[in-house]
Amino acid sequence: MAMKYLDKYPRSTAKRLWVLKPLWSTIKLFSKTAVRRPVTIQYPYEKEWLPDNYRGRPGLRFDMCVGCGVCERACPTQCIKMIEVPDDNGNMVMRPQVFLGRCAFCGYCAEFCPTNAMTVTPEYELAELYKKNLFWGPRRLHFEDTTPEMEVHYEVTLQSDIDAGNPEKRVRPFEVDNPVVDEGKCIGCKKCERVCPTGAVTMIEKGVNEKGKPKLVPVFSHDKCICCEQCVIGCPKDCIHIEEVL
Amino acid sequence: MALNDWINYADYSDLQNFAYYPYETHNIVYEIGYNLYQFLGGLVAWLIDVIFPGNGLSTWLMSGPVVNLFAVIIVALLIFLIIFTGVLVSLWQERKTLGRFMDRRGTQIGLKGFLQCVADGFKTFMKENTVPKKVDHMAYMWTLSLVIGTSVLVACMLPLSDRFFIVNYDSGFLIVMAIYALAPLFILVSGWAQNNKYSLIGGMRAAQSMISYEIPMLITVCAVAILAGTFNIGGVVAAQHESTWFIIPLFLGFLVFFTCSCAEAERTPFDLAESESELVEGWQTEYAGMKWGLIMLGDYLRGFASCAMISLLFLGGWNIAPFVPDNINAILPEAVQLLKGWFVFFLMIWVRAALPRVRIDQILNLGWKVLTPLAIVNLGIAVVLKMGGFF
Repeated sequence: MAMKYLDKYPRSTAKRLWVLKPLWSTIKLFSKTAVRRPVTIQYPYEKEWLPDNYRGRPGLRFDMCVGCGVCERACPTQCIKMIEVPDDNGNMVMRPQVFLGRCAFCGYCAEFCPTNAMTVTPEYELAELYKKNLFWGPRRLHFEDTTPEMEVHYEVTLQSDIDAGNPEKRVRPFEVDNPVVDEGKCIGCKKCERVCPTGAVTMIEKGVNEKGKPKLVPVFSHDKCICCEQCVIGCPKDCIHIEEVL
Repeated sequence: MALNDWINYADYSDLQNFAYYPYETHNIVYEIGYNLYQFLGGLVAWLIDVIFPGNGLSTWLMSGPVVNLFAVIIVALLIFLIIFTGVLVSLWQERKTLGRFMDRRGTQIGLKGFLQCVADGFKTFMKENTVPKKVDHMAYMWTLSLVIGTSVLVACMLPLSDRFFIVNYDSGFLIVMAIYALAPLFILVSGWAQNNKYSLIGGMRAAQSMISYEIPMLITVCAVAILAGTFNIGGVVAAQHESTWFIIPLFLGFLVFFTCSCAEAERTPFDLAESESELVEGWQTEYAGMKWGLIMLGDYLRGFASCAMISLLFLGGWNIAPFVPDNINAILPEAVQLLKGWFVFFLMIWVRAALPRVRIDQILNLGWKVLTPLAIVNLGIAVVLKMGGFF
């Protein structure tokens, strides 16, 4: 047994001086840290520098929001819920409410927001005494010093662009997609016109139905449409779908 | 000069002939203590005299022997307080320096972390003073107080300068080493008395490591004494001031003494007795609350004493350097000695930061097969240098 151990680890003078190596490496580190500050940050007293687009809690610019509900559907933790609140004129509008107890600070709501009303903010100290206080309403989500850097843009390079020899990034490319209506199935109920947050849907008379009466079908204004899919969700007959353009 | 000589009423008149009574040379601590008692005791005596004019108590309080007695009590308190503060500073130094060795900040509690030791002391005071039911109570408490007591004694017996000492005795280092060597016995008895397997193992480890490291340490002290021609602490320092620091001829001895004093003070590469990753807290397992706090303090007092001894033996003690003139050396020799002690303590912290704990067979191998021969070689060097007439 002893022979095996000695064969495996033969005694050498160099190995007997093994104490010198850790002594050298520690004194090297000490001489560095004696001059410069240690990497530790005294958190409550001093804070780390944050970039402008730091993804802290979501912030909302109330007036820019159109209440389209894209953030609600994009949220991976489903912490956003659209609630009805009065705006400055007293009209009831739909605005997102965020449950920060579940929010993962991923920033997808800000990334997918078509109007850039949802932003990220550098706030991250959000502890509350009660769980109910973690439900942040649309007015509370407002962040005073919102800068353009806090907007998150959805940038993507499309495969179709690469195929066409134009490998440049596009910002929000899916907002140019079009809703298309299947006129044969449409019953002209005007639901899409009611739910459209930007007023991009107008109902016009076109043709007649089986009973020979004039029929209303939606027409989409591509300038106003932000491709929020509210009409697709709202349609009772499932006759609207989104058609990819790019 | 014996204790009786200066408390004794009969010999009092003879002894007063000394200029620096009760010491033979100038002792700044005694001077401070004497003046402090002249003020405080004089105030008390005066107040009593104001209330009861012409009473005997005031006269007795300010009579020569009584002034002396109280002055000496103040001296003992002062020396302990100063050494205690030095140990607290070395505790703080250990925390901060270890932090920098690991690229962190170390403690931050008050005064750049100095008040951490106050907080620790307060915490251990507040703890419940539990004693296990089945310990041998007498041995348990007595060994504890003796371990702490010997540590305090060793730390306080080392002078800070030629005017800052308790007793100036010719067998200086021998007595210090003798008291130093008492602790392993108490630790062994304590480990046995606690009726706990961890304590017993820790106690036995402490005893064997300390016994095996006493010997090279003593041989190194002998080598220094041969070079200096005396065991007197002041004499060793004076000899170094005349020739050179003994670290230069006896570098081997310095290494041996440094390693051995790390082991003696149970510091990290050799802290087998209190190896918290294997034995719970070693021989200190059953000591709760302030008992443990005092043991920690005793450990650091021993470390502080080791550093002070290295400074006195090898680094020229309270003289700044051999070539510095005497009038500069005489400005603040106590501070020089303390700073040198803290520098050696820094080396100990460095070793602690760098090296892991050694195995039980490695520590014995190192002690008996490496350090003892090296100490004897060092002794031979000292003898050759002395016989060759270099010192």
